Amino acid sequence: MASTSAPVGGKATTGQGLFTRQSSGLVRELGVPAATGIALASVAVVNTFINFYSGLFNFTKVDMVLPLLLAAGIWLVAMFAYRYLLRAIPRAGGEYIYMSRIISPAVGTMIGIATAVGFSYTLSANANFAANYVPFALNSLGAAFNSSALTSAATSISGTTTCVTVTCSPGLVICAVGMLVIVGLASVFSLRRIAQVILALVIFQVVAFVVLGFLLATHSHQDFVNALGSYSGKSTAYNDVIALAQKNGIPLGVDIGASLLVVPFMVLNYNGVLYSYYVGGELKRPGSTYIWASVISLGLLIVVWVGVWLLMLNTIGLDFMQAQAQVGGTSDYGNITNLQANAGGLGYGLVLSGDPVSKILIGLAVPAAEIAVDLAFVAVVTRVIFALAFDRMLPISLAKISERNASPVNAIILAVIVAIGFTIAGSILNIANISANLALFFALVLLCGSIAATALPFRRPELIYKPGTNDVDRIAGIPTAAVWGGVSTLLALFTVGVIIAKPNVFGAFSVASIGSLIVIFFSGPIIYAIARRIRLTSSSIDIRLAMRELPPE
Amino acid sequence: MFLRRSRKRALRLYFATDVHGSDRCFRKFLAAADSYEADVLVLGGDIAGKGLVPIRSHNGTLTAKVRGEAVTVPRSEEQTLRAEINRLGFYCVIAADSEFERMEQEKPYLEAAFERAIVDQIEGWCRLAEERLASKVRCIITPGNDDPRSIDAVLKAASRIESPEAEICDLGPVLMASCGDVTPTPWNTEREYSEEELGARLEKILEPAPAGNKMVVNFHCPPYGSGLDFAAELDANLLPVIRGGRPSIVPVGSKAVRDVIKRHQPVVGLHGHIHESRAAQKIGASMCLNPGSDYTADILRGAIVDFAEDGSFIDFLFTTG
Repeated sequence: MASTSAPVGGKATTGQGLFTRQSSGLVRELGVPAATGIALASVAVVNTFINFYSGLFNFTKVDMVLPLLLAAGIWLVAMFAYRYLLRAIPRAGGEYIYMSRIISPAVGTMIGIATAVGFSYTLSANANFAANYVPFALNSLGAAFNSSALTSAATSISGTTTCVTVTCSPGLVICAVGMLVIVGLASVFSLRRIAQVILALVIFQVVAFVVLGFLLATHSHQDFVNALGSYSGKSTAYNDVIALAQKNGIPLGVDIGASLLVVPFMVLNYNGVLYSYYVGGELKRPGSTYIWASVISLGLLIVVWVGVWLLMLNTIGLDFMQAQAQVGGTSDYGNITNLQANAGGLGYGLVLSGDPVSKILIGLAVPAAEIAVDLAFVAVVTRVIFALAFDRMLPISLAKISERNASPVNAIILAVIVAIGFTIAGSILNIANISANLALFFALVLLCGSIAATALPFRRPELIYKPGTNDVDRIAGIPTAAVWGGVSTLLALFTVGVIIAKPNVFGAFSVASIGSLIVIFFSGPIIYAIARRIRLTSSSIDIRLAMRELPPE
Repeated sequence: MFLRRSRKRALRLYFATDVHGSDRCFRKFLAAADSYEADVLVLGGDIAGKGLVPIRSHNGTLTAKVRGEAVTVPRSEEQTLRAEINRLGFYCVIAADSEFERMEQEKPYLEAAFERAIVDQIEGWCRLAEERLASKVRCIITPGNDDPRSIDAVLKAASRIESPEAEICDLGPVLMASCGDVTPTPWNTEREYSEEELGARLEKILEPAPAGNKMVVNFHCPPYGSGLDFAAELDANLLPVIRGGRPSIVPVGSKAVRDVIKRHQPVVGLHGHIHESRAAQKIGASMCLNPGSDYTADILRGAIVDFAEDGSFIDFLFTTG
């Protein structure tokens, strides 16, 4: 019934050199506006402040303009590589499908398993982000409603304690776990209802972002210095923060080399911008629609993010932002101001806002964005769990659909449980480390897609033959898909390399951290081997048959 | 499930569906008997293609639009061009411009051209089955809602194919009931019935089933809300509805099929119709399967299903061949 490869519906038309008959199928009519909407809705706009902060926290002397542009360039190259994947496999299901079809079903399955684990980590990371912003949200609401109870709740919720040898914040862990439980419960409702909630949350965060931009644009640097003094109850707060950084030997200013190291965080920023390929089967003229939608989305995001960063440079000042990110966790900083350092741009907006509505919007922007992302991600994780259950890697009962509301209750429970496990394990990491892990995961996903594009003209050339020929498009004798895929692979490798080569970003490598990476990235072959072994003793069907290619001749 | 001991297999069935005119997928379907050691092949409906590409002949060359691009090849490359057009399951016809104009203007003339192309292809497939299948392998093909009724007679007449549409056939350990009817779709295709009518038709098919026999149902339409029936929600213009930045996905299966499965509890339900809803789901004791379809990428999706001597279901595996 559903997706087909041509306009259908009983029309007789030679306009496209094709007659169609009365048969079922979608009309391929999603145009550039709809595809652009899908791409932009897939990007968590306010997360840019988390990533700005992560960059400023992990590295000194960085400025975001160059990394924002370079990261956009990486996605631009990837966009051209993915265009070939979209053309070859128009009903895309992501990198798992690309690797299955182009490299091998076994590799695809293994990547599917790793993706399921990695996506569960993303659920947890978003919950951790939201939890880390709960104190900020409470402070904002406290300021909006003049409530000291909310402000004190913010202080107590972020209090830390030592468990064995590890320092963590039980209040924040409870918030993160609570959010995951709420997301899990909400996910049991119908997909249509969830989509409406997601849309409302996305609109909320976009409004907050616009309000913040307005505040930054309509206030001078001196306004911010005064406002911070007033917010902190100390008129010299602004200069005191910079002085504290200088006293601690933190270098301030701009260094191009250091700025390059922030590129992975900005790559993470744009994650989702190419997601219109997920509906490739429904796009009108898929190749060009996808390119236009992605270019427009990338262009808009560059303008908005570079614009906001420039506004922050003008109104807040680079030295202050660098100093605050570096000393924000010290007790000396706490003596100067209670402005939460990792709130970044949103914190500056809170300081500048004069009305309760702006304070509420800014305070709740990140939790709203993270809940929206997690609600969407539960659907993604459960879809991957389904695929694994249907491939018999996981028990089929995990794919059980509730008759009452057509929701996959068992898969949702599993996804939330795994995410809670990651959340508790991640409670010993700071927000910047979590960003770094996410950046690594999504860079590896990008790497898989890029490798698939590179291999496409060699492994499955027939899928991208120029019509009427037995050859593919070439540049200087090299298949064009391989050129774009190869460049994209190199850029993805650069991104992965920068992250892995900087242990100060991840924290020092330890048995536990290396073990975690192995669990995520090698879980595929391990689970496959175990599942096959067990099934060989209990079933009459070898799961290897699932991947056997049938000879047409 | 992991700790259960394997039971001895008495029957292996391979099920695929919705190949929509794809020659390569049909050839793979025949090859599945050997590759998967299947005793019975079942192709569960929607075997006809949806498009007809006009090819113009001029001065020893052939010109057609392939995936929206105009392509001209020498006459000697006709088979290559035909194969490329068929990659999307489309038929092609070489004719004069006047004939194409008539097809454009006269719907019955176009329908007749389609019917000829569909019947020709299926007759060819029947011959291919005769050539390629080992004598011990049974090959069952039943129609779906996208198949014109004219193919029923072609399938019935084929010596190497069985087409027990609206009947019960004996597969050895199990009996199989087949029906290609569906509930109404936005496209007003063939073999569409209201939920009440469909329920009555299914009951009538199952009526003669002897009590105590294990049953398999080969119903093209999947049960409602089962996960085997998730498709994009469409608006009045048949465009996908976007909600929250994603296409809205809704169940579109049949409540009548679900009720019949609940009532009769076949050991296995074989379904298709919704290409992107590859899924397995238990409804009571019935294991319902929709292997999905990916014929436009030359991929044959299917399901291997094993049965024990007493007709009980042992296990299934989705395949991507």
